[in-house]
Formats: sequence, structure tokens, C-alpha cells
Amino acid sequence: MPVQIDEDNLKSGLLGVIVALVEVIQEVLEREAIRRMESGRLNENEIERLGQGLMELDAALEHIKVENGIEKTVKSIRSDLDKLVEETIDVMANPERWKQEKVNQNVSGKQF
Amino acid sequence: MSLENNSEEGRYLYCIVSSGNEKDFGKVGVEDRSVYIVAFNDIGAVVHRCEAKPYETATKEKAGKWLLAHQYVVDLATEEFGTVIPLTFDTILRGNNETLKKWLSKEYSQLKELLARLEGKAEYGVQIFLENDLADRILENSEEIKSLKKKLENTSSGSAYLLKKKLENEMQLSKQLAIDKYAKDLHAKIEKLVDEVKIGSTSKEVPEKWKGKQMILNVACLAHKDKVKNLGNMLGSFKNEGFAVRFTGPWPPYSFVGQINESKIEGSG
Repeated sequence: MPVQIDEDNLKSGLLGVIVALVEVIQEVLEREAIRRMESGRLNENEIERLGQGLMELDAALEHIKVENGIEKTVKSIRSDLDKLVEETIDVMANPERWKQEKVNQNVSGKQF
Repeated sequence: MSLENNSEEGRYLYCIVSSGNEKDFGKVGVEDRSVYIVAFNDIGAVVHRCEAKPYETATKEKAGKWLLAHQYVVDLATEEFGTVIPLTFDTILRGNNETLKKWLSKEYSQLKELLARLEGKAEYGVQIFLENDLADRILENSEEIKSLKKKLENTSSGSAYLLKKKLENEMQLSKQLAIDKYAKDLHAKIEKLVDEVKIGSTSKEVPEKWKGKQMILNVACLAHKDKVKNLGNMLGSFKNEGFAVRFTGPWPPYSFVGQINESKIEGSG
């Protein structure tokens, strides 16, 4: 499935892809930060600094999205990416469907 | 779609019926082709003559028209002969009526078995959605979420940001756990009332009315006509428990004939 970019403008489309990817990385960083916060190895100052850093990243991404009017684009790329991942996992973890899809493709005339 | 110019002959298959009588349905098929039955013993295939190549188009409108025509013929056959084995759009057998008869004879016992399994039954679609107030209630009940919210009230901004993210993750997780449990329970209840159940994807496109609600279960049910009322009643009761229900059908049992396509490929050699 191709990732659809619903903007005519290639530049903002490309920016959308980049922001979407940075958002994915942001989520990973945040999860890791929460894990470290809970591990008890960080003192209060360190937690505060870590949180501040991530908060600033979040604000910067929001700013870029609003500034360039690409909120919708990013949202649709993210949902396309999610779907792609979901489908990939489904195909890998569901051999029955994989087999069925192959059969369906073959049935479309060509095999007969 | 002319059959001249030495192009190879084929038969477009709509469905298999429990009738051994040849019959002409008239020009009701895809692209107004003449639809008729090729019979073997007491079963028959509803078909039209075509070239042995798939129907393909780039326009959605045309594809929609073809699908409707396909559906119309399957409905006609169902009305006349009871439950049929519906075949998916663009199922084409290479060859003529004799080839088709040979295939019917080769697959006879399997087709008979499938027709018996489907007899008097139809497919129903059941999609269950979470109503928003139920979603809220799930989140209110979590102790972890309550304590996180409290902690957030007097924390400095950087740490608060991390706590807020943690809260969001926790909310997502408890919602997902609750949804999994609901879906399992609902599935078990439905399974008891119908003959067979197939689980589908919960990220399927739905009509406008249902958008914005989270789908938690999507199943196709094969149910005998006598059992449908009970199913409908039970689904109605789900509405009082905080779920929205989309109940569609009866449909030809497309989701329950998976094996047949497979056998056909083997049959065609």
C-alpha cells in the first residue's frame, strides 16, 4: 500500500513525511523517558530537565505543523503508517489470510 | 466483449445453486450479458459467456456497476433456489459449458457438502462500537489513572509533561484492555447464537453514521434464518450496555465459502 500524501505541493508533502517520522521518534523517546523516570535512577532535577527537553520538542513540532498548515497531512500520513504496520503484522502473523489472499489473486481469471 | 477474433472462451461464474435444471435468466448479467445455468446432476453453476480474461477497469463507477450486476444475479439465484455458494466478482473459468460441467462433476461432492452446510442460512454482518460514555467510564474506574491525575496537580512543568504522557499511555492501555475483554465477551455471546463466526478487521471503513466511534468487534456470522431473530434481540440488548451496534444482512455467505476457490484452482489444473 503506497503512503498517500494529500497535498499537491510536494514541499509541504515532504515536510509532512519528515514531521510524521519525527513524531514517531518523539513517541519512542517519551516512552524511554518515562521508563527512566520510573527506574528511580534519575533525581528530580534530571527528570525535570528530561521532561523540559521533550516538552520543547513537542512545542517545536506543533509550531512547525501550524506554521506550514500541515496538521492534516501529518495526521493522514501517521494513520497510513499505522495501517501499513497493522497490515504487515497481520500478514506475517496470520498465515491463513496470507494463503487466502494468494488464492483470491489466482482466482481472478488468470488461473483458469 | 466479443467472442470473435480467436480470443479464448470463458465462463464468468456468479454462484453455484442446488438445482439441476438448465435455465435462462435473460440479459441481467455484468455488461448486460445473458445469464444461464449449466447443470450437472442436481447442482448448477450460474454463468455468462465471456472471454477468458478478467474484467478490469480504472473507473470506480464502472467497477461499482459491475459489482451491482454481480450482486443482482446472486440475489436472483438466491430468491429462486435458496442459499447459493456465492463466488467473488471476476471468477472466470477458462473453457466452455463442457469444461464447466467437468469441473462441476470433479468438485461435486465438495460442492454438495458446502451447499448442505449453507442451506437455509445467510451471512450477517455485526459491527460493535464503543459509545463514548462507556469509554469515559472505563477510564474513571482506574486507580492508577486517578492517582496520576492527582500527582499532576502539583508538579513542575518538565516532570508534569512526562507524567502527562505517562497518564496518556496508561489511559490508552486500560482502554485497550477493557476493549479486548468486551470484544471477547461479545464474541462468545454471538458465537453461541449462530452457526459460524468469522472475525474481521476492526479498522474497516464504515458509513458516516458510525465514524468517530471506535469499532471493537467486526464479525461475519453464518446464521440459520430461524436464529436471526434471537441474534437481533441480543444485539439490541448490547445497546443498553453502552455499545452501538451495526447489524447488516442477510447477505450471500461470501465469508464462508473460502475453500471453494481453492478447490477450483486445483480443479483447473
